Amino acid sequence: MSADQQAIHSTSDKEIIVIKDMNKWYGDFHVLKDINLTVKKGERIVVCGPSGSGKSTMIRCINRLEEFQRGSLTVNGVEMIDDVKNIEAIRKEVGMVFQHFNLFPHLSILDNLTLGPIWVQKKPKKEAEAIAMTYLERVKIPDQALKFPGQLSGGQQQRVAIARSLCMSPEIMLFDEPTSALDPEMIKEVLDVMVELANEGMTMICVTHEMGFAKKVADRVIFMDGGEIVEQNTPHEFFDHPETDRLQLFLSQILQH
Amino acid sequence: MEAKQFKPLPDQPAPISTIGAIAWLRNNLFSSPFNIAVTVVIVAALLAIVPDMLDWLIFSANWSGTTQADCVKEGACWVFISAWSQQIFYGSYPGEEIWRVNLSLMLLAGVIAFSFILPAHLRNKVSVPAYLCLPFICLLILDGSHIGLKEVTTDLWGGFSLNILIAAASIIIAFPFGFLWALGRQSHMPFARSVSVTCIEFFRGTPILALFFMGSVMLPLFFPADVSVDKLLRVWIILVLFMSAYMAEVFRSGFAAIPKGQYEAADSLGLGYWQKTLLILFPQVIKVSMPNILATFVMVFKNTVFLLVIAVPEMLQVIMSALSNSNWLGGHAIEGYLFVAFIFWICCFSMSLLATSIEKKLDTSHKN
Repeated sequence: MSADQQAIHSTSDKEIIVIKDMNKWYGDFHVLKDINLTVKKGERIVVCGPSGSGKSTMIRCINRLEEFQRGSLTVNGVEMIDDVKNIEAIRKEVGMVFQHFNLFPHLSILDNLTLGPIWVQKKPKKEAEAIAMTYLERVKIPDQALKFPGQLSGGQQQRVAIARSLCMSPEIMLFDEPTSALDPEMIKEVLDVMVELANEGMTMICVTHEMGFAKKVADRVIFMDGGEIVEQNTPHEFFDHPETDRLQLFLSQILQH
Repeated sequence: MEAKQFKPLPDQPAPISTIGAIAWLRNNLFSSPFNIAVTVVIVAALLAIVPDMLDWLIFSANWSGTTQADCVKEGACWVFISAWSQQIFYGSYPGEEIWRVNLSLMLLAGVIAFSFILPAHLRNKVSVPAYLCLPFICLLILDGSHIGLKEVTTDLWGGFSLNILIAAASIIIAFPFGFLWALGRQSHMPFARSVSVTCIEFFRGTPILALFFMGSVMLPLFFPADVSVDKLLRVWIILVLFMSAYMAEVFRSGFAAIPKGQYEAADSLGLGYWQKTLLILFPQVIKVSMPNILATFVMVFKNTVFLLVIAVPEMLQVIMSALSNSNWLGGHAIEGYLFVAFIFWICCFSMSLLATSIEKKLDTSHKN
């Protein structure tokens, strides 16, 4: 695995996310068990697994949408501790894209994009709007800037959501099943944007069942089940030579169609 | 092989029997034997009642005159209302100072109108402070002693203008209070939470009449003999607290309607608590709560007639004392109470029209 790792030119040796022995419980229910994961800057990681395997919960812990009870997490050199300033500092480094887009329905597309830069980064409105338009062009919908989220298709909304995260110039992007709520015809337009982003060297952790995407851009694919990381490998090894019987079963079920 | 070309079918008009007035009548009034029977009964009842009612209300009514002796026809005696109109609208406010009441009402109307006319980016910056200052400006104008006008003590204020102004003043102040209590109620801080819950449950669980009595009879007992808090001020505070409790619950249901994803998106952008609350949640809460906010407004507005039980001369109280005036004895109660009901209905109905237009204005979702 390490040999493949070094072959990827865009990853550096800087460890941007370090998760050590992370454990999380919902009440008595043990959702994350001894998660250990190190992500290097520029690395593209795809996380897959059956529903309820804890994959969403894991990435939601990275920007503290969920708390964990044991273990440690360091994001870009900042250790996650129970402190508001600290949490906000980490959230500024981490962008997140959700399954249901979660655009703000009462704000125009442009206002959705400028909200973070203006209020969190304290940028002047003009500058924030210029940044917003640049990213809207990158996701190929600059002409929708003055519309409201409800007027856009799902695929367009998801691209706006990606642009909204990018406007904060994050070091890391987290994707939580970004295409699961989309019609088949719209999945491609969102994946295209994500592929482009990956090619530019963005550090990405992506929970998805789009195996084509994983094969195309991932440096590493992680398989989770029952709250633990069962297997992780390069896409080539992962799909062609799965080591555990659990992953073999999973792959046989999702790939047979 | 060349693919077959796909041609979408053109739209066609709906069948003629499903649109238009005839179809509406058939669907809504005559769709089944039972519905036909109900329609016939209701039409017959209306035919029996409405002509006599209109006759009494309008055609045989007495419209002109100044005293009871002018009411000679058998219809309603609207002279009673016109003779007492100044008291009904302004209470005992001195005649030559009535412009101050009118000015206050115009300021209120102006602020409401402005919040509709102003462009969106100025609305929050101008309208919110204007609303919040309004009750205190009206207080200064109506009292007059602090701004170099003749002092008019609050026991002279009255009539329908008092119903409007005290309801508006309570609603305006209760709005931020209610929002804070709602935030407090779902806060993680034990102190804020317990204070909010106590206030909300106390004021929501107590009848407004009991609160008025408490405010007017009991509270003065706790003050030293030489300290007296103005009765109207006490009433105002009680209305504000009562209304805040209801608004807090309205806002809470609004918060509950906001999808969890909105909180998460705001958090993941790195917005702080107040930024998240005011920029993301508040506008959406207001939007989903609009029908309930209006219902609460109407409730409080109508509740202002309860002020009569502690002898505040609001509209109904004025009518009741006019009815017992020795020059007007002899039963104009129906006219008096109908008039109060009509005025309140007009106001509440226009408030609901206003709310509908606000809801439309706020609706950007296009119901996806």
